[in-house]
Formats: sequence, structure tokens, C-alpha cells
Amino acid sequence: MKNLPNALPTTRREFLHRGAKGIGLLAFAHYAPSFLVASARAEMPAASRDRTVLVLIQLAGGNDGLNTVVPYEDDRYYRLRPTLGIPKDQVLKLDARVGFSPACTGLHRLAQEGKLAIIQNVGYPNPNRSHFRSTDIWETASDSNETVFTGFIGRYFDNCCSGAPAPAEPLGVHLTGEVPEVFLADREHPTFGVAPFGGRRQGRENLDLLEKLLHQPGGDENESASYLRHTMMDALVTERRVQRLLDDYRPGAEYPRDPFALELRNVAALIAGGLSTRVYFVSLGSFDTHVNQLGRQEALLRTLGDGLAAFQRDLEAHRLADQVTAMTFSEFGRRPMENDGKGTDHGTAAPLFVMGARVKGGLHGAPPDLNVGRNQDLAYQIDFRQVYATVIDRWLAGNSTAVLGRKFEPLDFI
Amino acid sequence: MKLALSPLEAWQPLPAGEWNEAAARHLLRRVAWSAPPGEVARALREGLAAALERLFPAAPPLMPTPPSVVTLEEDTPAFARKLAAATPENRRELLRQARERSRDALLDLTVDWLQHARQPDCAATEKWTLFLSDVYVVAAQKVPNTALLCRHQELLRAHGAGPAPALTKAVLRSPAMINYLDLQQSRAGAPNENFARELLELFTLGIGHYTENDIKEAARAFTGYRQRQGEFFFARRLHDAGGKTIFRRTGRFDGDAVIDLIYQQPAAGTHLPARLTRFYLTDEALPGEHLAALGAWWRGTGYDLRQLTHRYFSSRLFFDAQFRGACIKSPVQYYLGLLQDFSLDVPPLPRRIVPAFRLMGQMLYNPPNVRGWVGGREWISSTTLEARRLVARALFQPIDRARLNADEQEALESARAAGRAAFTVSDDGLRAHAGPDPEATAARLLEALLPLAPADAYRRALAAALTGDGGPTRSASPANGRLRNAAVAILETPEYQLC
Repeated sequence: MKNLPNALPTTRREFLHRGAKGIGLLAFAHYAPSFLVASARAEMPAASRDRTVLVLIQLAGGNDGLNTVVPYEDDRYYRLRPTLGIPKDQVLKLDARVGFSPACTGLHRLAQEGKLAIIQNVGYPNPNRSHFRSTDIWETASDSNETVFTGFIGRYFDNCCSGAPAPAEPLGVHLTGEVPEVFLADREHPTFGVAPFGGRRQGRENLDLLEKLLHQPGGDENESASYLRHTMMDALVTERRVQRLLDDYRPGAEYPRDPFALELRNVAALIAGGLSTRVYFVSLGSFDTHVNQLGRQEALLRTLGDGLAAFQRDLEAHRLADQVTAMTFSEFGRRPMENDGKGTDHGTAAPLFVMGARVKGGLHGAPPDLNVGRNQDLAYQIDFRQVYATVIDRWLAGNSTAVLGRKFEPLDFI
Repeated sequence: MKLALSPLEAWQPLPAGEWNEAAARHLLRRVAWSAPPGEVARALREGLAAALERLFPAAPPLMPTPPSVVTLEEDTPAFARKLAAATPENRRELLRQARERSRDALLDLTVDWLQHARQPDCAATEKWTLFLSDVYVVAAQKVPNTALLCRHQELLRAHGAGPAPALTKAVLRSPAMINYLDLQQSRAGAPNENFARELLELFTLGIGHYTENDIKEAARAFTGYRQRQGEFFFARRLHDAGGKTIFRRTGRFDGDAVIDLIYQQPAAGTHLPARLTRFYLTDEALPGEHLAALGAWWRGTGYDLRQLTHRYFSSRLFFDAQFRGACIKSPVQYYLGLLQDFSLDVPPLPRRIVPAFRLMGQMLYNPPNVRGWVGGREWISSTTLEARRLVARALFQPIDRARLNADEQEALESARAAGRAAFTVSDDGLRAHAGPDPEATAARLLEALLPLAPADAYRRALAAALTGDGGPTRSASPANGRLRNAAVAILETPEYQLC
């Protein structure tokens, strides 16, 4: 959806340019954004069928893959994990070898419906076990010995989307307090943060007040202040629009009452609202289960599965399922052998999940080889950049070689 | 720029009668990060000259070297030996590990520096050190060794109050600089011009005050200045000891001699003050004559940096009305000022802080190029403003410990045990800003947070928001929510981005 010929102005600058003739600037400017948004919304076409959306879900802290996709027929699994091993009869079977942790009922049903691809044993060469460093590697899609300062999505934006949507439309939206590294790019692209700030009502109050304060320049404002004011006003147009889309949304499914599910609901709201955003980023955590893993991981996996299941149902209800694919990633899996604290330490490879109506559901790749010594880590089989390449080329219609720096063989899940 | 002051008047000290609260606040917001009422009162009591003596002392407070940097340095000789004895494959692995240790140390260094700089007694020195590091640039991107970056900063800090020529000569010997501007590759017969060029163009004189030939000849003089395992040494046999002609003088100049020649040029008196102006005062260039007057005086002091700071920051020009509240805060200023305004500590969470600085456009220890950070309006775009707003909002949300990984939780615990626990604005912290009624609260907040009084309508809108629908309420919780909302909103307005 490129700029329509007589699209309504979506920035204050545009509005003013088109002429608020004869009306006091300040008086009108205060109301303009909301007014515009309301009328723009009425005329806004439905979310384009051509523009696909990717939802990235970070499992922060390093999710233990072996207790998520459980190799229930492998004796070695139970020998490595005398306390943490999930009993065979509790496992939600996927095939004759592996199945889901009982906490993953949501994910299991999605897999059975063919909407969830489970890509097994994903990692990269010379794995790094530092949270910060390995997260860098996954988000920048670098080799483990390189430091890159741009994210793979940022480079995708550089490569594919320069100069496309109007300034008010963010290309990437993150539902986290900080901008994620995946969005960092060489060129500037509008991204937007929907950070949880004390609840929706408080977010709205904050925006109301901010707009009021912003429209009160001093009489002889200096140039720096003026420049700041104009830049901020433009940014607020997006904020208002987003707020309205979130407030007015009627979900097509019931979401669990936890922050993660709420974030997915908000993603659905923005997609349904017609925002031309291509990539959303959500984070769940922390999966860093060094001690007492069972209960903690179970709770997180349940949150993940139930949230994703609701999200998928919601998209289907709004007939958006064909347009959206979600993908999880985590900085590493965890050590096959459990530690003394009923937990696991940092490891390497792990499965990741890709969810969507257009995904080829089911297991991809092979389970990890558990022929490992004490305190040894799993050997990956699928390089995560192959997963990225698949998504970039086949889902986002991008150029993965340009984005990732070289060619990675795509996989078969889309 | 319109200046009513003549070049002579500009640099005269501010008359005693004009040293008032507004002036003290302007001074503190510019030479440090914010103007806490206690610091303002202190400065007023002492008088401007004494305040500057204290803020810019002869012996600047030093920052302890972070333990991770010390470890890096201690390991260096052993590491070099291991590397020399390793197979090619092991070499790669060793180098990879070394890079990772260095990167982790850089995160520690960044957080340590912020914690150090946040202290009111260190703020002015650290801002001055930051200024000098914006002139004598080295960057992590090209110098991935955190120990070198740390020592470079220590050098700038230690020499920052002495004569500029001595500082420049120390920079010539900084291993980080030797790597950054390719002195390590420079040798007699094949001199590398990088250092010579940037020294003349950016560090000392500025474009137009040297010739290409000066650069070529100076580059010859800078051969042989090397570093080995983080220690400077002079490699005599690599040094070009022949006769050179620089600035129309001829002699067998070495690096120090060239630096002496540089400081004989008139432009040496005005270049650093011009950069100082851009960093501390305004985006616009000062009129040539005004700079020249200051430059001539500064030269007469032997280019004493401490005297420069005292003269500059006590001058009538510095306190001129047109400059008040007109400077766009850098990300560091914004962050540290924000922490000071709400009496908060820097949390030991590099994973939150470092990306925030990157997004705000100022990666500490990593300026984008040898020009340093341009500053001023360049700090501002919708992305960087969004980043600032996220930073402000995060300080008003309790830290969600469940989202932290194990290392971070531990670091937080240690900090709490050490008494540094105020990382986000608590209800009590917020109430400290409250007044007896909404009007008074609005007035107090604005007084504490903004450099200049905002428009009346701004203040009224704030007071109205603090009152809420249906009049003032006695109930603590909604009032606190309104206060929180008001505080965050102020932090997001243009007025708060200025100092």
C-alpha cells in the first residue's frame, strides 16, 4: 500500500501544508492529530493482503530445548536428567521420538492443526554462552567471531524498504521498553515502541498531557526548542494513532490475562488496524533457569503456548492469518546434563518455533544427538541463519543474501 | 550570532551582582549534568570564582580502574605468549575469547564510568574528560581493547587540567591513539599520515591553518611512536630523524618538537575554545574576533587548560541571556541529569543501559568517526527522541526482576547490599517533589526540572493534570499516579531536552 493519490495527511506538517486557512494555528493544532486520525481511519483501506508481517518472539535467557521438545524414547535423556526428565506418559507426543512438555498444550494443538513448525536443533558454529554476546549474534545474524552493529531486520529494512511508507508509519514496532538490536540499521527507519507504561489508561493520560504541554511554546522560543517541538509533534501523530488502534480493538479470541498475551493482542490490534508495519518484536522471559527449572519453565512455556494459540485464533477470526507468521528465538539452549540446583546451565542448540497459517507445520530437522559427555553441549545441525534466510526470502520477499552477508540454504517450513 | 559584548567585554568575569541563582543554575547545568538545589546553594555561597576552583581543581578526582580492565591488563603478557605458541586454529579461538573478554569489560567500564560521573563531586571533571575525548577521539570499533580505551580516558582526565601541549604529547603516546590513527604502522620511509592529519585538522589547529606539506612532514616526525602489549615505546630505528620543514621552520623535529611548533601557531589558541563552545555553549560559531581575543590570552598562559575553564565559565559571554536554556542535551547529559534530578543510582545492568545509549545516538567509548559526536541538533530525530522517552518511562517503572537473567539479578542484589538501590522512582521519591496543592506542585516540578520557566499555559496544563477530574483528591494513590504522569510528561517535552 504505497501512498494513495489523495491520501489524507497523516502528519501535522502535511496537514498544515494543505492549509488550515483562517483557523488559529495553535487552536487547531491541538485537535488536529486526533481529528485526522479519526477521519483517516474511516477511509483507511483494510490491511493489505500483499504485505506480510513477521512477529519475532524472543525467549530471553536461553530456553531449555530438551525439556520443551522432549526426546521421550531416548534413555540418555533420562540418564542426563534424573530429576528434570519429563516422564514419558506426560509428554504430548509429536512423533515416535519426540513430544512436547505437558505445559505446551497450546503449542501442541497448533502443531496438530498444521500451523506450527518445530525446527529442531538450531544453533551456529562456535557457539557463545554469554547472554549478551549470544543475543547479539542471534539479533545481528553475525558469525560468532564478528561484531556487527546492525540487526538483521534493520538490514532488511535498509535493503528492502527505504523510502516506502509515510513518516508516520513505523516499519518495526517493539513491545518492549528498549529498542531491540534486531531493528538497528545503517539508515534511519521509523520504529516505534509500545512499552507497557502503567496500563492503558495511564498511557492515554500520559499522551493527553504530553500533547497539551507540547502545544504550549513560549513566546520567544529559541531555535533549538522549536526544532525539538516540531520533531516531537510528528512523533506524537503515530503515538496517537497507535493508542487509538489499541483502545478500539475488539479481539476475535479470548486472550489469557498475562502481559505476554496482552502484548500479542496489541500486535493483533495494530495489524488489524491497518498499520503498514512489517515486523513486530515481543519478548518473554526470563528462561535463564539455573535453579529449580521445572516449575519456572513450565509456567513460561504455558504462557508462550496459550498466548500464541489465542493470537492465532484472533488472527483467523479477523481473516488475517494468511498475512502473519510468528517466529521464536532464544540466545541458546541449555546443557543436556542437569546441574546440582535442579536446573541447567547455558548450552547451545535448541528448537525454535514458527507459527502461521502458511507454515508447513510439524517437525523439521532431527532431534539432537544425546551422545554427549558430562557437561558437554549439544551439536547444532541447522544454522539459525538458514531459518532467517527462509523467512526473509519466502515470507518477507527480501534478499537474504544481501541481508545476511552470504547465501544460506533455505529450509522447507514456508 | 548577535553579541552585544565586544571581544574585550566578552571575556571579562561576570560582575558579582549578576551571580545569582539563575546564573548558578546555568553554570551547573552546563559544566555538570544538572543543578541540584544543594549544589546551587553551595555555589552561591562560595561565589563564582571559588565554585570554579572547586569544580575544575588542579588535581582532578581520578576514577579507579575497573577490576575487569585490571584483569585484562594483567593477563596480557601471558596471553601474548599463548598466542605466539598456538596453532592457527587455536589462535582464532584465543582471539575470539580475548575479544569477548574485552567486550564484557567495555560493558563494565561503561556502567562504572556512568556511576562515577553521576557523583556531583566528579561531574564537572567527567564532563570535561568527555569533552576532551570528543576532541582526542579513539573508538572501540577500531580499538577493541578495552584496557587501552580505559587508559586513554585516564590520560585525558589526568592531563586535562594542565597545559594543552603536555596533553597532546601524552595523547601521542596513548596506545589506543597509536592504534586508532595508525601510528603503529608508521615508519621511516613509509610514514602514515593519518595521525598527523587529524592532529592538525581536528585536535589542535583546524582546517586552513596548515598546508598539505605540513602534514606530510609532520607524519615523518611521528614515525617510531609505537605500543607493545599496551605500553608505549619509542622505536628509534623506525623513526625518521632527518630534517623536516614544518610551518616554514626547518629542523630534525621529532613528535614532541612538532607539537611545540603547533602550539606556536595562533590558531592553536582558538581551535580548542571553538570546540569547547560547540560542546558547552552553542551550535553557532562565535565571531572570529571574540575567539581571537580569548586565544591570544590563552596562549599567554602556556595553553593552561584549567585556566581556560575558569576564564571561559566565568565570562560574561558564557552567561549571556541568549545562551540560557538553549543547548540541546547530549544523551549522557540527559541520562545523568535525569538520575540526579530524581536522586537515582545507575543500575548495574549494562544490557539495559548500553543499548539505550546506542539508540539515543551516543555509544560511549565509540564515537562514529574521528570528528567525535557533532552534538546539538544532531542528537535529535524521531528515533532518538523515542529512545529518550523510553529511558524516562523505564525509570518510572519498577524493574521486572523476573525478566532479568541470573547474572543481572545477582548484580542487582550486590548493588542493593552496597546501599545503591534507588534505580527507579519510588512513590517516596516522587512525593519529595510534591507541594501542598497542584499549583504548588506544578511550580516545584518545573523549577526543579527545567532550565527556564515555561509558558504560562504549560504550567497551567500541568497544574490541571495534577488536579485531575472532579477536583483535588486526598486519596494518595490516584494523586501519586497523577504526579507520576506529570513528571514523566515533563521529561518528554522539548523543554526538558534543553539545558
